[in-house]
Amino acid sequence: MTKPIDLVQGTLDMLILKTIAPEPAHGWAIAQRIRQISNDVLQVKQGALYPALHRLEQQGWIKAEWGESENNRRAKYYSLTRAGRQYLDREHANWERLSAAIGLVMNTA
Amino acid sequence: MRWASKLFLRLKSLLRRNAVDAELGDELRFHVERQITANVASGMSPSEARRTALREFGGVDQIREECADMRQVNWLQDFAQDVRYAFRLLRKSPGFTAIVILTLALGIGANTAIFSVVYSILLAPLPYRNPSRIVVLNETNPKVGNVSVSYPNFLDWRDQSRSFSQMTDVHQIDFNLAGVTQPENISGYAVSPNFLSMLGVHPYLGRDFNPSEEKSGTAPVVLLSYSLWQSHFGADPSAVGRTITLDGKSFTTIGVLPANFRSPDKTDVIEPIGVWATDHSDDIRDRGERGDSVVMARLVPGVTISQARGEMDGIAARLAKEYPTANDQCGVRLQSIRDVFVGDLRPAILILFGAVLFVLLIVCANVANLFLVRGATRTKEVALRIAFGAGRGRIARQMLAESFVLAVLGGILGVGLAFGGVRGMGQLIPTDMLSGATISLNGMVLLFAGGIVVLAAFIFGLAPAIHATNPDVQSELKEGGRTTSAGTQQNKLRLVLATAEIALALVLMAGAGLMTRSLYRLLSVNPGFRTDHVLTMEMDLRAQQYSTDSARRNFWQQLLDRTRALPGVEGSALGTVVPLTDDHSRGDITIEGMPQPRPGSWPHPDYHKVSPGYVSTLGILLLRGRTFTDSDNENAPLVGMINAKLAREFFAHQDPIGKRFMFGHPGEANPPKWITIVGVVNDTKLYGLANPSRLEVYVPFRQLDVPGYMNLLVKSAVDPAALISSIRGVVGSIDKNQPIFAISTMDDLRSQSVSTRRITLILLGAFSLLALVLATIGIYGVISYSVAQRTHEIGIRMALGAQHRTVLGMVLGQGGKIALIGIGIGIVGALGLTRLMASLLFSVSAYDPVTFGGVAILLAMVALAACYVPARRAMRVDPIVALRHE
Repeated sequence: MTKPIDLVQGTLDMLILKTIAPEPAHGWAIAQRIRQISNDVLQVKQGALYPALHRLEQQGWIKAEWGESENNRRAKYYSLTRAGRQYLDREHANWERLSAAIGLVMNTA
Repeated sequence: MRWASKLFLRLKSLLRRNAVDAELGDELRFHVERQITANVASGMSPSEARRTALREFGGVDQIREECADMRQVNWLQDFAQDVRYAFRLLRKSPGFTAIVILTLALGIGANTAIFSVVYSILLAPLPYRNPSRIVVLNETNPKVGNVSVSYPNFLDWRDQSRSFSQMTDVHQIDFNLAGVTQPENISGYAVSPNFLSMLGVHPYLGRDFNPSEEKSGTAPVVLLSYSLWQSHFGADPSAVGRTITLDGKSFTTIGVLPANFRSPDKTDVIEPIGVWATDHSDDIRDRGERGDSVVMARLVPGVTISQARGEMDGIAARLAKEYPTANDQCGVRLQSIRDVFVGDLRPAILILFGAVLFVLLIVCANVANLFLVRGATRTKEVALRIAFGAGRGRIARQMLAESFVLAVLGGILGVGLAFGGVRGMGQLIPTDMLSGATISLNGMVLLFAGGIVVLAAFIFGLAPAIHATNPDVQSELKEGGRTTSAGTQQNKLRLVLATAEIALALVLMAGAGLMTRSLYRLLSVNPGFRTDHVLTMEMDLRAQQYSTDSARRNFWQQLLDRTRALPGVEGSALGTVVPLTDDHSRGDITIEGMPQPRPGSWPHPDYHKVSPGYVSTLGILLLRGRTFTDSDNENAPLVGMINAKLAREFFAHQDPIGKRFMFGHPGEANPPKWITIVGVVNDTKLYGLANPSRLEVYVPFRQLDVPGYMNLLVKSAVDPAALISSIRGVVGSIDKNQPIFAISTMDDLRSQSVSTRRITLILLGAFSLLALVLATIGIYGVISYSVAQRTHEIGIRMALGAQHRTVLGMVLGQGGKIALIGIGIGIVGALGLTRLMASLLFSVSAYDPVTFGGVAILLAMVALAACYVPARRAMRVDPIVALRHE
C-alpha cells in the first residue's frame, strides 16, 4: 500500500458530499466508505474529517440528525441538503474539467 | 432558505456551546468505538485495538477546537473572555486605569458636546417638507448691502420667475399685546396665504389661511405660536375662534402652529398679508418702500440654486431698467433656508469642531503612550504566552479588548461630562443666536459618541498592541537588559507621539491666540459713543390714542421729563435707533445745492429722530456747531445734525453748518421741507464694532413726523439695571397699557454684538488649555520614563566623571529636541490652518508673527519646565546605586 495522500480541503468536501449522496451516513461510515471505494488510497483522518463535517454543516450543504446505528448505538447521521446536492454537481463538473486538463498536459510527451 | 438554517446553526452553537460540545464528544466517542471494533475484527487483541485506535485518533481537544473554529463562534467567546481578563488587569492597576479613563473622558466628552452643537445647528432636519428645496430671497443694494423686498417687486418676481413652484412674501411685524399680567410686545410675520403650505407645515389646531386673505380688506385673523397659545390661552383647545387684542385691535384666532415650528425670527403670531395691507396700503404699492421683509420660495424639482440665482439676477436687472428710481442697481440674494438659520455661525462651529478633534488626537496620543509604557512592563508576559503557543493575533486582540474596555468606560464618563458641557454651553450661548435650535444629547449625538469611542480605541490601542506582539519581543526572553531593539523602537514611538502632541497643542494655541488678539482689538475699537452705565429699552406706541403726532409727542416728552427726575438718573434721552442692534432706518436725502445724483445714487444715510439729550447721554462727541435744545420743537425752524463721515463726503471744502438738506427727493408730492444743519457729531459704529461707520443724520423727534417707536436711553451713576423697575413705574403712570421691551444695558449690547467671536474664543481657549496640559503631561511622561530607563547609563557617565550640569543638559536636551521639533511642525501646520479662521479674525492677520511667536515661546517654556523635574531626578542619580542596578 502506497503512502496515503493527504487531501486538499475542497477535494475532501467533495468526496464527503458524494459519499452521503445516495444515503445518509455517520462519520465513521463516511471514512470507511471513502477508504474502501478508493482501494485504501484515500484514508481520511478524524482530525480532518470532523472539522470538515462541521464546516459543511455550517455552510448548509449537509444536515445532521441523531439516529440509531447498526449496532444500536446513538450516532450522528449526515445527509445532503438540496443546496448541497447542487453544490456537489457543480464541484464534480469543475473537478472533471480540471483533471481532464491536467491529464492533457501530463500526457503530451 | 439556506441562510436561515445557517443562522440557526450559528445561534445554536453560540448559545448552547456546552451542549454542542457534548454532542461532538459523543460523536467522536462513537467513532473510536467503531474503530476499536474494526481493529478487533481484523485480529488485534482488545487492549491493542484500543491503543491503536486512540493513537490514530490524535488529539481530541484539537479536533474539538477545530470544529469549534469551523462553527466560527470562537471570536465572540474569545472577546467575552478578553473583556473579563481586561477588567481583571485594569482593576490591578487602578492608577493607570483612572488616568486613562479620565483623559479619555475629557476628549470624548468635549467632542460629544461640540458635536451636539454641530448637529443641532448644522445638521438637524428643519421641520419643513423637503427643507433643502426652500430658499430665502432678499434684495441687495451696492451701497447698503442686503435690504428687504418691496411688495410690488415681490409680485413681479412671482409672476416672472419659473424656478419656483411657490413664492411667499414674509414681513416682520410686531404688536403690543394686552397681556395676561403685563402688556407685552410680541413679534411675528405677515405672510402670503400659501406660507405654511409652501413650507409643508400644518396648523396644530384650526385652519391655514385662504388664498383670498391676500387682498387688502381681509378681516383680522391670526395664527398663534404654540407657546403663545399656552401662555395666553392656557393651551385651551377651544381658543380657536376666540379673539386676541393686538395693538388695541381685535384679531380672531383661526389656529395654532405646531409646537416644533421654527422660523429664522421669533414668531409669536402669523397674520395673512391681506390684514397687514389694510393698514399699510401705501407701503404695499410703493416699489421703493422696503420694510422688514424677505421672500421665501420652494424650488421646482430639478432646478438648482445656482440656476434659480441666474434667473433672479436676470429678473432683477430687468426691473432695475424698468423702474430706475426705485430699483436702480438692486440685485437679488438667494440662499438656502438652512444658511439663513445658520447665519455666520458656520465657520465658528466648524473651527471648534476641528479644534476638539485635535484635542481627541492628543488624548489618544497620551493614552497610547501610557499603554506603551504598560506594554513595556508586560513584554515578558507576552513573550511567555507566545512561547506557550498563543497566536500573535490572539494576543493583539486581547490588548485591543483592553483598549475597548477603557474606551467604553471613558466614553460613558465622557458622555456624562458632555451632558454638563451642553448645559454650560446653553448658558453661554444666547438663545436668539440659535433661532429655535435646541442643543441636547440626542440619539445622533450619542451615536457619534459611540463612533468616537470605537475610533479612539483603535487609535490608541492598535499601535501598542501590534508593537507588543512584535516578533522582536521574543528576544526579550533571551536577553536580559533594558536596551533591546524592541525597547528603543518603543521609545522612538513614544518620542514621536510626544512630539505630535506638542505640534497639535501649538496649532490650537495659535488659534486661541489669534482669537484673543482679535477680540481684544475689536473691543478696543472706539464705538463713538459711551456704553457704560447706559440702559436702553424700547417702546412702541400702537394704541388708537396715539394716532396723532401731538399725542405721541406728548407721551415721549412726559417720559423724558419724568425719567430725568428719577433719583440716580444723570441723563435720559430718546432715539429711534440704538447702535449695535439690528434696527436701522435709512432713507435718501437731498442736499441743497448738490448736483442731481443718478437715480439710486442719492445719499442714503441712517437717520435718527432724537431728543435733545441724546448726544450727551450717549457720549457722542460734538465736533462743530451745537446739539439740539428744548427750543428746537415743533414750532421752531427745522434743524438737523450730520455725522463727520457725511461732512467729509459731501461738505469736503465747506462748513456744513448752515447748509440745508431734506428727506427724500425734491419734486415729490409734498413741498420740500428743508432742514438746516446746526451741528456735526462724531461717527458711531452703528452697525457693529467690526463694521465701518456709515452716513448718519439726526433730527429732533418733535419736528416733522413724530415716531411711534422709540428707544429710551438712561444714563445713571449707579448700576443702570437697578433703575428698571422705577422706569416701568414711570411708563405705567403715563399709560398703564404700554409695554416696554428690549431692555438691556449698552454694555451688554456691546458684548452681544461680538458674541460669536467671544464664545468661540472661550471654547477655543478652553480646548487649547486642555491641549497644553495634556501635551505637557505627555512630554513629562516621556522624559521621565526615558530618565528611568537610562538610569544605568547616567550612573556610568557620572562614575566616569560627568558633571551634574552635563546630565541636566542631556535630559533637557532630549526634551528640548521634542519641544522644538513639535513646535516647528506645529507652526507649519498652524500657518496652513489658521487661514480657515480668517472670517473670525479682526484686524489680525492669520499669520500674525506676534501671536505665533508668543505661543511658541509659551509652549517651549512650559515643555522645558515639565522636563525639569525628571532632569533634577537624573542629576540626583547615585552612580553606585545605578551601576549596581540592572
